[in-house]
Amino acid sequence: MGLKRLLIAGAAVVLTAFPAAAGELSFWHAYAGQQDKVDFINFALDEFAKAHPDIKLDVVAAEQSAYKTKLNTAMASGNPPDVFYTLPGGFLNAFVNGGQMYALDADLAKDGWGDSFLESALAQTSKDGHAYAVPVDVDSVVFWYDKALFAENGWTVPSSYDELLALAETIKGEGIVPFALGNKDAWPATFWFQYLEMRLKGSGVVSSFVNKDAKAALGDEATKALEHVAALSSKGYFPIGFNGMGDQEANMLFLNGQAAMMLNGTWQIGASADAPEGFELGYFAFPTVKDGAGDQSDVLAGVAATFGISQKAENKADAVTLLKFLTSREVMTKYVELRKTMVTVKDATTEAAAGPVLFDISSKLMAAAGHLDPFYDTAMPPAATNIYYTSLQGVLDGSVPPADAAKRLEDALRADK
Amino acid sequence: MSTSKGFASSHNRAALLFLSPAFLLIAAFVAYPVVYAGWLSLFRWDGASAPVFQGAGNFVRLAGDPIFWRALGRNLLVALSAMVFQVFLALCIAYCLVRIVPAFSRIFLFFYLVPVMVSEICIGLLWRFMYNPYFGLVNAAFGALGLDGLKRGWLGESGTAFSAVVVVMSFTYLGLYVLLFVAAVRSVPESVYEAAEIDGAGHFTKFFSITIPMVGDAVRANSLLAIIGSLKTFSLVFVLTNGGPNHASEVVSTYLYKMGFGSFEMGYAATIGFTQMLLTAIGAWLVFRYLKRAGVGGRT
Repeated sequence: MGLKRLLIAGAAVVLTAFPAAAGELSFWHAYAGQQDKVDFINFALDEFAKAHPDIKLDVVAAEQSAYKTKLNTAMASGNPPDVFYTLPGGFLNAFVNGGQMYALDADLAKDGWGDSFLESALAQTSKDGHAYAVPVDVDSVVFWYDKALFAENGWTVPSSYDELLALAETIKGEGIVPFALGNKDAWPATFWFQYLEMRLKGSGVVSSFVNKDAKAALGDEATKALEHVAALSSKGYFPIGFNGMGDQEANMLFLNGQAAMMLNGTWQIGASADAPEGFELGYFAFPTVKDGAGDQSDVLAGVAATFGISQKAENKADAVTLLKFLTSREVMTKYVELRKTMVTVKDATTEAAAGPVLFDISSKLMAAAGHLDPFYDTAMPPAATNIYYTSLQGVLDGSVPPADAAKRLEDALRADK
Repeated sequence: MSTSKGFASSHNRAALLFLSPAFLLIAAFVAYPVVYAGWLSLFRWDGASAPVFQGAGNFVRLAGDPIFWRALGRNLLVALSAMVFQVFLALCIAYCLVRIVPAFSRIFLFFYLVPVMVSEICIGLLWRFMYNPYFGLVNAAFGALGLDGLKRGWLGESGTAFSAVVVVMSFTYLGLYVLLFVAAVRSVPESVYEAAEIDGAGHFTKFFSITIPMVGDAVRANSLLAIIGSLKTFSLVFVLTNGGPNHASEVVSTYLYKMGFGSFEMGYAATIGFTQMLLTAIGAWLVFRYLKRAGVGGRT
């Protein structure tokens, strides 16, 4: 197996050195760098080669952040790959607006392919009623904690935001950081703001801006939510220097028991696999906020990755075959098993593949949610995301007043043509 | 000036023939991108849709963009610190190595050169770990010295993030200048120093009155190298803080990257890049002129 993987990797390197030959389908993806990602794509491509020996693939892989740059450069230079991995929301919409994406509506309507996806997920890859990509996995955000550490100290899981703050004060008194946070790349803190906005105002706030709803507004609730976030920081509930620490460094604090809780995505299950002996990962929903206008059962959950086809692809039939294969229940169940991530294909997130914690989140928390609100930072246009990130960092370190940050964000959301 | 006559001579024709491959490569990989960036800076373009002509719109926006000007200010601070903690310090060290402890100069030079040989990304990651507020060496060192009050989240606080990056830059690039200056200081004739010693000059006098004037060419070249490098510095900032928190350690190149590949404002990113190139060229020319007039360097 090890040798085989090496050979595949070698073949990939050789292949990338040459342009795709005629009749080959170029396929770019970001399943690289992490072992679980590599295992998944190797499985999927091996199986595809067996099932469709006639379709030759020219595969290019890059690690996530480098991939975004690479794909964007290819798009800008007018040489996009035929089939490719892309992020939903603003990233995908930029390509859609540029007329670079092939609309999958006709193909999805055939053979029940479209019906195999969760509707809420397909909505996140559609624009103006047309689907431009197929969703792959869904991440949702919850509070994570070490059950053993909580039991040892007699702490109980909070159900309201006030209880959460009281618990944080107690934990801080014990000399432990209440919430792990590594905000160098600015997305980790967005979960705090988004959940508070969802609880205070409701779901779909940023989506309504993206859909050009005339009534779209962040409301005074955004300022309030940002004030809450600023208060958490000024009370010292986050680690020292959190704005300069990476998510992985925050994870080290959490797994070593130096921080008690962490508001993070379901990828935390994979990140906690290497936890020291005695660590027992538990989760609880973002607590209810008193007098909040939003549906208090809502969950922050969004499509994390999608696959799309370039408008310029010569052989669209083969491209669709590849996408259908990748999103088949068999491949997607394997995805759940290897990556411990929920997928958008119905009934593929099985208990056996997902494991108890993830299956619990999928079957209880998410099934009971009034709405699933996609990640603000990926839903909004990239230019607004940049402003969202930096303003939130500023609110957290006290250099930007919450009201200013809310206004800046609202202006950025409205500025998009 | 015999250009017109000389141009036709067969020698020149042969020289041109030999130079043409290099010229073509430069045209393709330097001149074309520069011209293209200049052209692109007149458009609004997200990289995917058709570009929209803006005229001077991007430059007007740049002129009123406080983040850009603050970032440029930080580049100038980096340049200033490079002159002091890289160029001047390296010259002092080179003098010590050559004139005071020549026996150990090789081994010291080796240590100074280690960071130059390691990739900047690795150095950045290493320092990220040293700066980690919980597990890092920096805070541990302050703790060991009983200075717990000085412990902080170096890279995560707006007050310290930029200084923390500048410290790393100084450590990283110092070795290169030491190497260059050691070669220059060695080339100063021994007889000049002997004459000075007879007159009773100490190391201080010898350093300022002999070494600096005698290695003027090297000082000028290294200063230019340091200033140009500082104005386009990118990788260490990118790895250490990514310009954050909230632009507190942003330099022009990281801002350009954020605009181009974060916000997908390719046109505006090109405007930033084009302006940065012009300012760097002007800056380098001014420094060159100033150093020449100040009498540092010039042919002796």
